[in-house]
Amino acid sequence: MKKKLTVLFLMIVMMAGFTTMTFAQEETTITVWCWDPNFNIYAMEEAAAIYKDINPDVNIEIKEVAWEDLQTQLSTSLSANQTDSLPDIILMQDNALAKNVNSFPNAFYDLSDSGIEFDKFANFKVELTKVDGKNYAVPFDNGAAINAMRVDVLEEAGYTIEDFTNITWEEFIEKGSDVKEKTGKPLLSAIAGQSDLLMIMMQSTGNWFFDQNGEPNIADNEPLKEIIRVYQELLEKEILVQINDWNQYISSFQSGTVAGTMNGAWIIGSIVPVKEQAGNWRITNLPRLANVEGATNYSNQGGSSWMVMANSEHPEIAADFLNQTFAGSKELYETILPSSGAIATYLPAGDSEVYNMPHPFFGGQKIYTEIIDYAAKVPEVDYGIYNYEARDTISTAITQIMSGQDIQSALDEAQSTLEFQMW
Amino acid sequence: MINSTIEKFKAYKRGFSINKKHKMIGWFFVIPGALLIFSFYFYPIVRAFLLSLQGGVGNNLRFAGAANYKRLLVDPLFKKSLFNVFVYLILQVPIMLTLALILAGILNDKTLRFRSFFRTAIFVPCATSLVSYAIIFRSMFALDGFVNTILMNMNLLGEPINWLGGPWTARILIVIGLTWRWTGYNMIFYLAGLQNIDPSIYEAAKIDGASAFDRLTKITIPMLKPIILLTTIMSTNGTLQIFDETKNLTNGGPANATLSVSQYIYRLSFEYVPRFGYAAAVAFIVFIIVAILSFMQLKVGDER
Repeated sequence: MKKKLTVLFLMIVMMAGFTTMTFAQEETTITVWCWDPNFNIYAMEEAAAIYKDINPDVNIEIKEVAWEDLQTQLSTSLSANQTDSLPDIILMQDNALAKNVNSFPNAFYDLSDSGIEFDKFANFKVELTKVDGKNYAVPFDNGAAINAMRVDVLEEAGYTIEDFTNITWEEFIEKGSDVKEKTGKPLLSAIAGQSDLLMIMMQSTGNWFFDQNGEPNIADNEPLKEIIRVYQELLEKEILVQINDWNQYISSFQSGTVAGTMNGAWIIGSIVPVKEQAGNWRITNLPRLANVEGATNYSNQGGSSWMVMANSEHPEIAADFLNQTFAGSKELYETILPSSGAIATYLPAGDSEVYNMPHPFFGGQKIYTEIIDYAAKVPEVDYGIYNYEARDTISTAITQIMSGQDIQSALDEAQSTLEFQMW
Repeated sequence: MINSTIEKFKAYKRGFSINKKHKMIGWFFVIPGALLIFSFYFYPIVRAFLLSLQGGVGNNLRFAGAANYKRLLVDPLFKKSLFNVFVYLILQVPIMLTLALILAGILNDKTLRFRSFFRTAIFVPCATSLVSYAIIFRSMFALDGFVNTILMNMNLLGEPINWLGGPWTARILIVIGLTWRWTGYNMIFYLAGLQNIDPSIYEAAKIDGASAFDRLTKITIPMLKPIILLTTIMSTNGTLQIFDETKNLTNGGPANATLSVSQYIYRLSFEYVPRFGYAAAVAFIVFIIVAILSFMQLKVGDER
């Protein structure tokens, strides 16, 4: 009996505690879900600190939620119409944005008329956050693709970073096999069965896996065939090595077995921790596909943007918060860049002194100015709603081609699989 | 107030025969559990079935009849994932249960030294997290990983096997992982079953000149039959619903060769354009397959 009473008592205390907690909040609280403490969360914390001076009544609460978990919770809550558990602001992967807006109409707050000046962001990025002409997100991190290379290895083979700037893939293969012959080091590594590198190459041509009407475009996609040809040649000449997972990919260039990498600019975060290689790295733009019309030396990989949830109690405040910080504060970007390397797509920030600082790890190269410059030139593509399906089918096709299947038949198969999945 | 209710209840009860009273007491104990099972198992199953009759993206669902089930018949990825789980089932369950039975037989020997140490050692894998063991397996079976290095140093291999790269090696890797993780778990059931077999039966058989193999096939296995049945049903059930291993060890790759049905359901709901109706239909098919297989096993194993 005594025990029962204790339990009852504790329950009452807890309930009372919760009620007082809810009543104690007089100021507005905006909750934010995002991932990566060193990057997104850090940036959000700094933004919250800036907004505290502008609007002291608003309290920004940040919760770390990994992307997979965020997507899972978002889908479950929205499909069950249980939106109370969702936050006011979420960070959204750009390649999943259109899918989520389409699957859950009215779940996301339309930011078109919120006063945010979207023309201050890199064009390709704004395009990714638009669905049916409406702006649904404030662009954040920069996924402009870079080609990072070890100049000490290049020097051994008699090359400089300039020899790899503004070149075609043909030239890259020619010089790359020379480097491989003289130093024994490949220039690239990629995860087997993943299509990230192909997707980078694809976007550099301004094409995607869907046509203007959103229909799958794989079987007769000439740029894609050219890309697969180049990819195979890279593998055959051992300029590109395949590994099995992300950790092996990171360690391939950190350990020095591979003398370079191509990825979104955020990969710099994984390059700089290796202190012994300081001064040996440089970045440059990508090779372009000479045989594809309109192909450029620029592309994008990854990246995410801030969205306001329509179920938020204060969507205007949430939008204002983003407008005053991520879409209006040069100071914010100046704070977060040096300590986290978070390069923005906010173009006015590019004029900032901080962005013009030479980076000692990259031998004094002004890498941030370069990246902002690349970002402005990335071809715009529409990832479409079925981007994840496309990614999986392309990965499967590549795996089949690499294990000996004929290119056309693998692509025909991929085309019909993707057509089947789009219904 | 409460007292009067109790009085009324007592008066009500007095009207029943002793037999009925006993039955009522029985129901009284069963009802809370039954209610919980109904609301947390059967109700969701019914709702899942209703959901599986709906089509559409995200939360724009509308009634679609049997469209989802018709689509399943021609879905290449669903067929592939079903094929994969049956490969795991047919390869892994017999291997694991035989191994568990043999190990239980060995460890039941009272003369064996360090018996409890071995028991613990074989059972320990069950205490590890599914995700962490899958990740460790992935690094162990990497191209330049532990397993290839050992095999090459022993001169058993000329060049390293790309375990995760080939469709069959990747499937075998999943089977190896599952066997490592679950053998000890099933062994515990057999050990418990063996404790219930009277040692005098074995003594009598020994006196009659039965060999070790005869004792296994004629005494141990028949006496353990209900437990073997239980473990078979549990393993079948678990293998058909496998998710953690394929997600973390191979992520369904290479080229969907290890994709499991559960992982396909996950992709349909959370990676691809969300179609919860279709995902529910896939889940319901798995439920039906598990039910049919369990029913068949019960029929085969039931002697009454």
